[in-house]
Amino acid sequence: MPSNIERCYQCGQCTSVCPMGEQEQTYKIRKFLQMEKRGLANEESMMLPFIFYCTTCYRCQDNCPQEVKIVDGVLEIRANAVHNGQMLRSHRKVAKMLFEYGHAVPTTPEVMEKRLHLGLDKMPPTVQGSDEQLDEINTLLQITGFDRLLEDEVPEIKLNEGLTCVQQPGSELSAVEEGA
Amino acid sequence: MSNLSLFLGCVAPNRYPGIEAATKKTFSKLGIELDDLEGASCCPAPGVFRSFDKTTWLTLASRNIALSEEMDDDVLTICNGCYSTLKEADSELKKDPVLKKDVNEKLIETGHEFMGQHDVRHVIEYLYQDIGVEGIRKMITTPLKMNVAVHYGCHLVQPLKEADSGLVSGTITFFDELVEATGAKSIEYEDKMMCCGAGGGARAAALDATLRITENKLQKMTDAKVDCIVNACPFCHLQFDSGQQEINKSSCTEYAIPVLHYTQLLGLALGFSPEELGIDLNSTNTAVFIERIRNGFVTA
Ligand code: SF4
Ligand code: SF4
Repeated sequence: MPSNIERCYQCGQCTSVCPMGEQEQTYKIRKFLQMEKRGLANEESMMLPFIFYCTTCYRCQDNCPQEVKIVDGVLEIRANAVHNGQMLRSHRKVAKMLFEYGHAVPTTPEVMEKRLHLGLDKMPPTVQGSDEQLDEINTLLQITGFDRLLEDEVPEIKLNEGLTCVQQPGSELSAVEEGA
Repeated sequence: MSNLSLFLGCVAPNRYPGIEAATKKTFSKLGIELDDLEGASCCPAPGVFRSFDKTTWLTLASRNIALSEEMDDDVLTICNGCYSTLKEADSELKKDPVLKKDVNEKLIETGHEFMGQHDVRHVIEYLYQDIGVEGIRKMITTPLKMNVAVHYGCHLVQPLKEADSGLVSGTITFFDELVEATGAKSIEYEDKMMCCGAGGGARAAALDATLRITENKLQKMTDAKVDCIVNACPFCHLQFDSGQQEINKSSCTEYAIPVLHYTQLLGLALGFSPEELGIDLNSTNTAVFIERIRNGFVTA
């Protein structure tokens, strides 16, 4: 899935329809693509944490006159950051869930009650109910080296005040748990 | 037994089990018993895991497809994110024998093999193509009289585009047609094809900004005076349903739009009660909506 961002001629049609750009002034997909094209490492860090804000909605891509595969570009930039130890803390928590439960969003006692109430089994028939199946997931995560991506935590880049999202007390946990 | 296994993903079974129950019940009514996909994991989520490490993403996705192939089944997903992951992984592995061999060398360590002899289906696409709008209409016992805001979701449309599906050429209507087969009316509203805000790992990375995207959509739906939102994805479902509560808290608004997955809407039209479909288990209160359903929506 090599991206084709070299086709980009910087017209800005992508940024103009991007819902995340509308909300976060610093999120400018055209600029990120330019930085990536020029391959400047220090500029790359200027994209953090914003590059992880993309909702992968494909609106930019649908609007690009050059048929740039913008979302593939975003994914590549993210993969490089993650392989440099720059996974966001919230995403790191989601990733750890995968090791522990085989799910990015595991079940809860409250949901088990709802399941019984609906006539479903208390535990879904998925990997989280079986140690054997969960072992398979962990084996595969080790073979692919995904476990190593979670090893060293680089201190997260702090945003300037005004750019951080203000979270309601208690909402961080739910966002993390359900942030797949 | 059927030739379809139900891939649950994460959010449906672990947050909105009503969607899982509704899928099983409606398919059963349509004469299709879905097989359980035992041991299935996270798809894994396209926004986070695909962008972190492609090999990991592809390997876990191929395990999920392999589990289904072992039962001689096609995979049926009820989630746009799962569809995006499994459909893309499936087609990449089918196209690229070297990649397939590489993935299978990993999978074999757990006793599985990706064969590439089956297909990945989204419930909406399956119902539209294999049962058909007329087929659904004929099964309806309780025609619905409500106005619906249909939310397609980005990762229903995009994989179909990549598969070169005729469903997404020109004006896109397949989901609206399925909704209208239940008797409900799909209401046009501004920015209908806009994202719910949650995808791509953005909900975890920038919750507040994603909720502002959601709020824009909720406002447009409110302006169009809809009775409920109907989606095709538990993650969009969560963003609209739990999201309304989060938005009301942070912006002092009073959004109160009931949120239904299509299988829940279809379930109502097939005669199931709202409780059997888990419509009463949403975060945003649905008591008034349920009362109106009982009264045949005459007070609308
Ligand atoms: S719309 Fe396409 S060509 Fe224009 S700036 Fe964006 S990516 Fe580049
Ligand atoms: S895919 Fe990402 S960059 Fe493109 S419009 Fe959507 S949020 Fe913006």
